[in-house]
Amino acid sequence: MRSFSNANPRDMQQAAKLAQQARMEGRNAAFAGGGSDMLGLIKERIATPDVLVHLKGIQGANKVETKGGATVIGGQISLSDLSHNQVILKRYAVLAEAAGSVATPQIRNAGTLAGNVCQRPWCWYFRNGFPCFKAGGSQCFSFNGENQFHAIFGGGPSFIVHPSDTAVALMALDAKFRIVGPSGQRTLSAADFFTLPKQNAAKENALAYDEVLASVELPAAAAGQRSSYHKVLDRDAWTHAVVSTAVVLDMNGDTCRSARIVLGGVAPIPWRVPEAEKVLTGQRVTPELAARAAETALAGAQPLAKNAYKIPLTKEIVQRTVSAVARA
Amino acid sequence: MSKPRNKKSISRRKFIEGTGAALVAAAAVPTLDAQTPAAAKASGGGTSAVPRSTIRLKVNGAMHNIEVEDRWTLVEVLRDHLKLTGTKIGCDRGECGACTVHVDGNAVYSCSQLAVWMDGKSIQTVEGLEKNGKLDPLQQAFIDFDAPQCGFCTSGQLMAAKAVLNKNPRPTREEVRAGMAGNICRCSNYNLYVDATLAAAGVSAGMGSKTIIVDDAGATRVAPLKTLGRATPRIDTRLRVSGKASYTGDVSLPGMLYARVLRSPHPHAKIRKIDTSRAADLPGVKAIVTHENCNYVWGAGSIAGGRQYVEEMKKITKQRRYAFNNPVRYAGEPVAAVAAVDRHTAEEALQLISVDYEVLPFVLDQEEALKPGAPQIWPEGNISLDIRNEAKPMREARGNVEQGLRESDRVFESRYSTTFVHNAQMEPRGAVAQWEGDKLTIYTPTGGIANCRTDMARDLGIPEENVRVICQYMGGNFGNKNQNQDSDLITATLAKLAGAPVKLEYTRKEDFIGMHGRWPTTQYYKVGVKKDGTLHALEMRGFSGMGPYRKNSGSIGGIQLYKVPHVQYVVTPVYTNKTTGANFRGPEFPQGFFGAQSMMDEVAYQMGMDPVEFLVKNMTRKAEDEHEYTNYTLEECFRRGAEAFDWKKRWKAKPGSDTGSVKRGSGVAFLAFRAGLGRSAAWMDVDSQGRYKVHVGVTDVGGGAKTTMGLIAAEALGVPLSQVEVIWGDTSRCPYSVGESGSRTTIMTGYAVIQAARDLQKMIAEKGLPKGNDLLTAKADTNPSVPGGKVRNSFAAHFVEVEVDTAVGHVKVLKYVAVHDSGRIMNPLSATGQIKGAVIMGIGMALHEELHYDPRSGQALTAGYYGQRVATHMDAPDVEVIFIESDDGYGPFGAKSIGEAGKLPAVAAIGNAIFNATGKRMRDLPIRRQRLVEVRA
Repeated sequence: MRSFSNANPRDMQQAAKLAQQARMEGRNAAFAGGGSDMLGLIKERIATPDVLVHLKGIQGANKVETKGGATVIGGQISLSDLSHNQVILKRYAVLAEAAGSVATPQIRNAGTLAGNVCQRPWCWYFRNGFPCFKAGGSQCFSFNGENQFHAIFGGGPSFIVHPSDTAVALMALDAKFRIVGPSGQRTLSAADFFTLPKQNAAKENALAYDEVLASVELPAAAAGQRSSYHKVLDRDAWTHAVVSTAVVLDMNGDTCRSARIVLGGVAPIPWRVPEAEKVLTGQRVTPELAARAAETALAGAQPLAKNAYKIPLTKEIVQRTVSAVARA
Repeated sequence: MSKPRNKKSISRRKFIEGTGAALVAAAAVPTLDAQTPAAAKASGGGTSAVPRSTIRLKVNGAMHNIEVEDRWTLVEVLRDHLKLTGTKIGCDRGECGACTVHVDGNAVYSCSQLAVWMDGKSIQTVEGLEKNGKLDPLQQAFIDFDAPQCGFCTSGQLMAAKAVLNKNPRPTREEVRAGMAGNICRCSNYNLYVDATLAAAGVSAGMGSKTIIVDDAGATRVAPLKTLGRATPRIDTRLRVSGKASYTGDVSLPGMLYARVLRSPHPHAKIRKIDTSRAADLPGVKAIVTHENCNYVWGAGSIAGGRQYVEEMKKITKQRRYAFNNPVRYAGEPVAAVAAVDRHTAEEALQLISVDYEVLPFVLDQEEALKPGAPQIWPEGNISLDIRNEAKPMREARGNVEQGLRESDRVFESRYSTTFVHNAQMEPRGAVAQWEGDKLTIYTPTGGIANCRTDMARDLGIPEENVRVICQYMGGNFGNKNQNQDSDLITATLAKLAGAPVKLEYTRKEDFIGMHGRWPTTQYYKVGVKKDGTLHALEMRGFSGMGPYRKNSGSIGGIQLYKVPHVQYVVTPVYTNKTTGANFRGPEFPQGFFGAQSMMDEVAYQMGMDPVEFLVKNMTRKAEDEHEYTNYTLEECFRRGAEAFDWKKRWKAKPGSDTGSVKRGSGVAFLAFRAGLGRSAAWMDVDSQGRYKVHVGVTDVGGGAKTTMGLIAAEALGVPLSQVEVIWGDTSRCPYSVGESGSRTTIMTGYAVIQAARDLQKMIAEKGLPKGNDLLTAKADTNPSVPGGKVRNSFAAHFVEVEVDTAVGHVKVLKYVAVHDSGRIMNPLSATGQIKGAVIMGIGMALHEELHYDPRSGQALTAGYYGQRVATHMDAPDVEVIFIESDDGYGPFGAKSIGEAGKLPAVAAIGNAIFNATGKRMRDLPIRRQRLVEVRA
């Protein structure tokens, strides 16, 4: 491995300052949560930090707290703690399920919510060291290449899909992302936190080099809120989502008061489908209606040469998940 | 010589940028970190001021204050600095689980944690499971169930299972699977790991691991023996479950250097110049080798290469494979290697080597490579040269196929294809080499210490007696491990140059992209059938993608399974710019059986016949329709299997007939596979106390060979196993053994063991036991054959039911029954694992596995366990095994081959079951989710 120094900040702001300071000294800093993704990138020399800022040791950065109706989750909570947390299981099942679907037990024990949300893409070109947009280069190798696992929505100029399961759930829960920088903090909605390649092809989110995702805040769950995450894998364990969906419905009997549906594995960001949500709003959720919502969700998909299968596949899981959540 | 310098240097990076090439090696890629924009720039690195920290670590209860480099991972500290080598490195990327340890009670991958992050934490490793010399009940259960095969993943499996039980003392089978989902076992002994874990929890294993042994219903009843045939825990399992078994990577010698290999990013390129001067200047670098200063031929790297040492071939050999080749012919081919004081310095040095490549056109597909104008990989063309240096397809024929097809009432045609799949054994290749004067000792993961020694001596040009090969434990084989490796040559060369012992460690990715796997094929079948469903003519044209070196024949097995008068087989082995296709568990059969047995399944349905009925009517009765088998139990395999599986009930007469998107269906496939006799040797001695030692050149690649040799010796001597000590895995102490490949160790080396026992008994009868410290020694070198032109085969029939969720393309195996005749079952415990593991590997090949190449860059995109989608605990169904025991009177007590057998029919059986469920014939491997969704859409 290339050499670097490890830094153990006291708090998130100090973490951010360490990154800022490194930059001023002409050095490169990176943040690590559980480390699973970052160490892989360093070993492959895709990331080359001189300073690695370790966030997971920060005291109190892994708590789940309820404030009023809202729930604040520290970014450094482990994915396994998150998936077993009683508050989350009860009110925000979609997030617990998404966290529990990540990789393997070992990675969930080490990996953090913030790390899962901020992990780099798992595009096979990027991970194999091709000088693509995501590596600071100026092309996307998948566009005319092997794009079986690439975007059908929101692609261009990079066609990666966002790799995080929890990000899909967080967007479906209308989470707010609390970001800490060297001189303060800001809060972004999911819509503003995740950024498309056309905004900045090298990045997946709005974090500056010296900012960290400190926590997420989930709004109060409506009384009739039910939710679920459905992930399609490429073997029966430890792959990123081929496609996935997070469905959050506020149900009154068998009528849907409101819906949030987000797709994973289809776009460079978690892909919300408002038109499909509208199909459900105010309606009795029948299998036919779920199918119509699924159809609507995939309208406008623009597959590349080798990933058109994602359209029927995603439709199917949207239909199934909407039906299942409505029935539950 | 050890520090080559060139005055002029063109950096590889500069060169690539300058030419605008579309790809570069990982090392040359402009890099970014996760949350930082591109502007920040890293310096060149080097070892001058490596940041260090002092940490307090509690490991297995003991406190350690250690100074660590900040970049060291936890597993590095455990293995290299605390000498706790029970924790293994299988992938170093959080993909396989071999490095699983507990941190404050939670299972984590120790390869994916920095040691410096562990400050103040409590770590438990496999070494901490044992308390006061007493094994943990889980360890004992692993022994009792024979859960470890090669054992390389075992420490990780134990720690994962322990974590499951700590949280949930009485888990269900599914909970155990889910809890261990992060631990790959490439021997695929998943069933037994789960059984053992449940047993340790006091939960009944249920039907999970059912194995039944029945007699051959024919005349050849198997006489019971005293020692053989009883479920016996392996003699070395205790070491495998306690982290004490010493694998190559666990060997550490004083003053040892670490080596790393630089590989070509280009699938085809001429090396104009290599500048190693900057690497040589890096403090800590001790030796560098490239094609310029290391021109050893790697004979075992190709057939033609190996054959060139035969006198008559030496003069005409046209295509030599060297340890370092120029031009490079696949992306991942070694270009240079560095030995340095530690692995990080060696890796850093690779970054400083500049290679000036002249990029050449390349071709990846075997059929494309034969088209006019295709890039030429060798001057002689792209048809792979055979051992006689002739570029011609392999042909076999019986009868007259054209006439046969004309005479047939119906003729069916189809094309099948299979992809490159890597062996993915858990232990990455590597070696430790040490020279004492002109004598070389090499520790290497080989299943053939004798062959490895011969190869090393030949390649290095030194006498065989100057080479000692040691392999006490190795982490899986599955092919290409019965020779020396390029890693062995490179390590030996570096050690010679540096004047110090050298350890070379291949990364998981290097093992995938640089070494051998199953060759991809395209197969064209034409089948003629009579009205009554009798096969009449069978034509097969095939193309095998061998990579740029012909390491194996490249044939495509399968059509020999049928009784048919008119046959023609033409297979062309073709050079391509992928990594080399070679031996992988039944080298030519799983892919050939998939094509041939899917094709015959098609024909059966077309003829309106039940596939079982069709196969029983048309399957082989004599080898090549000509030679009698020493015994024949195929019909029995089918009968028993159909019964146990309930074929009539599960099979759908109308494929795809289940309503709705979730459909069930069943498939069948079968096997007849070599179980021939042949040459091997064994020594046996006895001391004055009547204690026996059997010396055999086996290493036990995972099949249990050491224990089997001990059992055979005990049986032949008429003493308990405890009175026999087995000496293995060291050429200085063991005679020639055939080497663990081709499913033949039990048969061939076992035969020699019996002979040595008989000879020794005769000596004892004549002279009595020796006195004092004397030994009596018998040395047997046997080479038996089956007389009368008979052919010895193992047989099997596999039955599988799948449930296909067609709308989402998911396949679930509901029931799997594998019926095998492998002759006498020497140790039912290990035999069971051989079949179960092989079947699960076959399922993985059918549904998921592929080393996928990028057609534009020629680089492999899916190297590693994550990329190739190697089966996990969650992908492994419970497999029921039925052994039909037979004794044909040959081999050691009637034992036949077993190691490869289970995988061969599994791939075809799955494909056929998917057809029965869905009505869609999947003709290309792997039958991935995507393809199933596409055929439905």
